[in-house]
Amino acid sequence: MALIVWDSNLDTGIEVIDNQHKRIVEYINKLDVAREMHSQEEVGRVLDELVDYTLSHFTFEESLMEEAGYPFINAHKKVHQLFVKRVGDYMQRYKMGEDITEELLNTLKAWLINHIRNDDNDYSQIVKENMNILDASKGGWLSRSLKKVFG
Amino acid sequence: MQHINWNSELEIGINVIDGQHKRIIEYINNLIDMKDDYQKEKIAELINALIDYTYSHFAFEEALMEEAGYEYLYVHQRTHEAFTSKINKLHDMFIEGQDVGKDIGELLQTWLLNHIAEDDQSYAPIVKDKLSVIQKKDSGNWIKSTIGRFFN
Repeated sequence: MALIVWDSNLDTGIEVIDNQHKRIVEYINKLDVAREMHSQEEVGRVLDELVDYTLSHFTFEESLMEEAGYPFINAHKKVHQLFVKRVGDYMQRYKMGEDITEELLNTLKAWLINHIRNDDNDYSQIVKENMNILDASKGGWLSRSLKKVFG
Repeated sequence: MQHINWNSELEIGINVIDGQHKRIIEYINNLIDMKDDYQKEKIAELINALIDYTYSHFAFEEALMEEAGYEYLYVHQRTHEAFTSKINKLHDMFIEGQDVGKDIGELLQTWLLNHIAEDDQSYAPIVKDKLSVIQKKDSGNWIKSTIGRFFN
């Protein structure tokens, strides 16, 4: 199984988002390694962390889009919801004892790369511009927003 | 079956949608290119990715049409559903061991080209209008580099 290598093509140009995407990629790679090692315990642990972190990331990303008035925010949210449901179905099967790790990994890798390169890339400019405005007018808003979502 | 080459006639003028269509076309081209001796797992992986991405694209598109109050949303959704059921049938046949990988590629190719040219072009103006979309001319070229380079 191939690990994901971060490529500058995946950069949205929004540092805080890129760092979150990199972290998700790390989790996916960790999951891959855990699967290769046949460590069921580690697979379960990484899966929980991955799901948890991804949900927070979606919430944070949606709040940035909303704040910036991105016109396709509702469609983008729908795609997030669909993905969450799909991963939820996998988790359900996993908890029933089915070995879904490989299938899930393929889905995660393909989905994430496609999503970042097209859908996330589409909001990046308007969000970036809005962040610059917010940064100038309300200092510290970014750390406040991050704290709100990630705790 | 021939590759689809992206051309300006396929553009509907909404970058995020054009980008999704380009990605689907890239997947279809990959499927059509599959050699007969390809490992079944590889073909299965590609079919899964293609189907998954297409569904995600439908959800995105339907949300846009709904928000813009597009009057033929219902018809467009039925078209998506009819297509989904066709592709699911082929997918089941593939899982059962029938050699239908290329059929899936061909079905998608024919369907997608017609669908973009007719149905998608028809919702584009109202979405652009209602959602006050301002598009840059130079974006949407992300597809140029291939997906393979992200993996080692």
